[in-house]
Amino acid sequence: MDFGLTDDQRDIQRTARELLADRASPERVREHAEAGRHDDRLWTELRELGWPGIAIPEEHGGQGLGGVELAILCEELGRTVAPVPLLPSTMAAALVQAGGSVQQRERWLPGLASGEHVGAVAAATDGVAGLVPSGADADLIVLVEDGAARVLTPEEAGVEAVAAIDPTRPAARVAAAADAGEPLTGDVAAGVARALVAVSAELVGVCDRALEMTVAYVKERKQFGTPVGAYQAVSHRCAQMLLDTEIARAATSEAAWTADADPDRLRECAALAKATASDAGRSVTASAIQAHGGIGFTWEADVHWLFKRAQVDAALLGGAKKHRARLARFVGERAVVGATA
Amino acid sequence: MDLTFSDEELAFRDEFRAWLADNPPPPDPGEVADGARNAWRAAWQRQLYEGGWAAPGWPAEYGGRGATLTQSAIYFEELGRARVPLPANVLGLLLGGPTLMVWGTDEQKERYLAPILSADEIWCQGFSEPDAGSDLASLKTRAVRNGDDWVVTGQKVWTSAAQYSKWCMLVARTDPDAPKHKGLTYFLMDMEQEEVQVRPLRQITGEAEFNELFIEGARIPDDNVVGGVGNGWKVALTTLMNERAGLGFTLQIRLRQLLDDLIAVAAERGLLDDPRYADQLAELHARCEAIRLMAWKGLTDAERYGQPGPEGSLVKWLWSDTNQEATQLAADIVGAEALVAGTTWSYELLRARGNSIEGGTTEILKNIVAERVLGLPRLKPATA
Repeated sequence: MDFGLTDDQRDIQRTARELLADRASPERVREHAEAGRHDDRLWTELRELGWPGIAIPEEHGGQGLGGVELAILCEELGRTVAPVPLLPSTMAAALVQAGGSVQQRERWLPGLASGEHVGAVAAATDGVAGLVPSGADADLIVLVEDGAARVLTPEEAGVEAVAAIDPTRPAARVAAAADAGEPLTGDVAAGVARALVAVSAELVGVCDRALEMTVAYVKERKQFGTPVGAYQAVSHRCAQMLLDTEIARAATSEAAWTADADPDRLRECAALAKATASDAGRSVTASAIQAHGGIGFTWEADVHWLFKRAQVDAALLGGAKKHRARLARFVGERAVVGATA
Repeated sequence: MDLTFSDEELAFRDEFRAWLADNPPPPDPGEVADGARNAWRAAWQRQLYEGGWAAPGWPAEYGGRGATLTQSAIYFEELGRARVPLPANVLGLLLGGPTLMVWGTDEQKERYLAPILSADEIWCQGFSEPDAGSDLASLKTRAVRNGDDWVVTGQKVWTSAAQYSKWCMLVARTDPDAPKHKGLTYFLMDMEQEEVQVRPLRQITGEAEFNELFIEGARIPDDNVVGGVGNGWKVALTTLMNERAGLGFTLQIRLRQLLDDLIAVAAERGLLDDPRYADQLAELHARCEAIRLMAWKGLTDAERYGQPGPEGSLVKWLWSDTNQEATQLAADIVGAEALVAGTTWSYELLRARGNSIEGGTTEILKNIVAERVLGLPRLKPATA
C-alpha cells in the first residue's frame, strides 16, 4: 500500500505549484476577480502546457494521464483560486469521456483537450441551473439531472450571465428547454463521479492554502504581547482546520486513485470525497476568516477569495448533504445484503 | 499510489485469518470475576504463542516473525475482525518488549522477552500519577539508591492489569535537583512484593480496568534500570511511541463493526429512510473511512519514507470523537436497550467517554498538532 505520488506525479505537482504561484499571485487573482473575467493570458499558457487535456485520452488529443494527475492539478488551482476555466472544462470532459458515446467523444473531446473550447458543468432542476461556474464563457455546457446528462451549446442552453460571489470564473444561469441539447448515452454515473473527484481535489487545495495563510498570520499577529496562535482557542481551531483538510484529502486521494485502478468503487468513493471536501471547504475557509480577525473580513486580505471559491465548489454537483444521502444508500444496501446473506 | 496489499501481505493476512478460524479462543467466560477473565485472556495468548502468532512484529531472534509494519497492522486488524479478546499481556507485547529491544541490555533481553511472549509474566505500565497526567515529566515518585538496590516511594494511577502483573515499567525521579525531564529513570519493578499495593479503580462502566499503585519502599535491583540512570524520559518516549502503533488498527476495526451493527439496526427499523438518521450515519461512515485511510497512510508513509505524517495524533482524535458520537447515536437508534445496564450498547456508550482521555487527551493531541505539525508557538506554561 502506498499513498505517495510517483516521481512523474511529483514533477507535475511541483511544476503546477511553481507556475501558479507566479502567474496566479494574489494580486493577479484580485485583479481578475474585480474585473469579473478569466485570466486569458494564463489560460493560453495552460493550454500550451496541455493542462486542459491532462486526463483526456491521446486519441482525442489529450495527454492520456489519469484521475490522480487531474486531481493534482485541481488541487493546485484551488490553492491559488486561479481565475481560469480549467476545473469546469475538465469536469465537462470527464462527463463526455465516460458518459458519452463514441461519436460524442470524437465530437467534443478534442476541443476540450486543446482548450479551444471551454466546458462547464452543473446540476439542473427542470432544466434550470442557477449558477454554472465559467458558464458565461463556455462553448459547451453539460447539465446533469436525475442521473442523466446532456451537452448543450450556449444557444441551446439559454445562458444568462450571473455575478457569482466567486467572480474568478464568470458564471451563468442556464435554463434549457426539456428537449434541448444532446443526451449523453454512456456511463453518466462514472462521468459524474470523475467530475466530483476533480472538484473535491480543488476544495482540498483551497483548504490547504487557507490553513497555510492562517498559520502564517496567527504566528505573526500579537495581542496581549503574545502571538495569537499561542492561545489554544486559536491554535485548536487551526488543528481542527488541519483535521478537516486531512479527512477531505484522504477521501479525495482514494477516489482519485479508484477512478482508474478500481472503477467499481469509484461512485461511492467520489460521494465520500465530495461530502467530506464540501464540508471541509466551508468550515476551513470560514475558520480562516475568523482566525484572521477583523482583517479577515476585509477585501484586501484575500482569504475571502478562498471562502468564495469554496462556497461555489461545495455546491457544484451537489453539496455534502446530498452526497451523504447517497453514501447512506450505499452503506444501507450493504447492511441489507449482509442481513440476508 | 497503490491502495492495495501486495501478494505477500495478502498471503500473510490469509494465513493468519485461516489460523484464527481453525484456532478460536476458549469460550468467553462471560460475567465472571476479573481474575477469571484474565486467565481466559492468558490462555488465549498462550494459544497465539504456540501458533507463533503472539507478536509477529517482533524480530525472529526474539520469537516473532519479523513482520513488516504493514503486516503487523494487518495482524491487528484481523484480531479485531475476528472479535477475539486481546492477549492478556498486551502491554508487554506492545510496549515492554519493543522498549527493551531498543534500550535493554543483552542480559535484560535474554531474561524478559520470552516470558512476555508466552504470557508467563504479565507487564503493566507505571507512568501516570495523580498529579502527573498530561504533564508526565512532573511525576514525583522517588527512587533512592541503597547499595545495589533502589528504594521506591510514590503513587501511580491508571495502571491496567497491575493485579496480574509480575513486572511494572516504572518511571521514577532519581535526581530531584535536575530539570524535570532529566532527573528520571526507567525501571522494571517486581510487583510481587509487600511494598507495592494494588487498589482497583472503579470506572464509570462499573468495572475496574485500571488500578492505583501505592509504593512504600519497594526495592528494585540496579540491574533492572533500563537505558541508564537519568535517561528515563527518552526510554519512556520509546514506550509511548509504541502505545498506539498497532492497537489502533484493532480499535479502528472495532469502531467499523460497531457502526455496521448500528447501520444494520437502523436499516431493520426503517430509519435509513429518515434523512436525519441517514445523514448522521453517513457522516460517521465517512469519518470511519477517513480513519482507515489516514491510519494506513501514516503507517505506510513511515514504512516507505521513514517518517510518519501528522496522522498519528489526528487519527486518535478523530477515532475517539467518532466512537463517542456513534455510541451516542445508538441511544437514539437502538432505544431503551442502549440505556439498560449490562447491554453491549450501554457499555460502549459509557466506555467511549474514556477514549478522548486515555493515551493522550484530545486537548493535548490538539496541542501536539498545533505545535509540532503546524509549527504554532507554544503557550508559555503558567509559572508556579
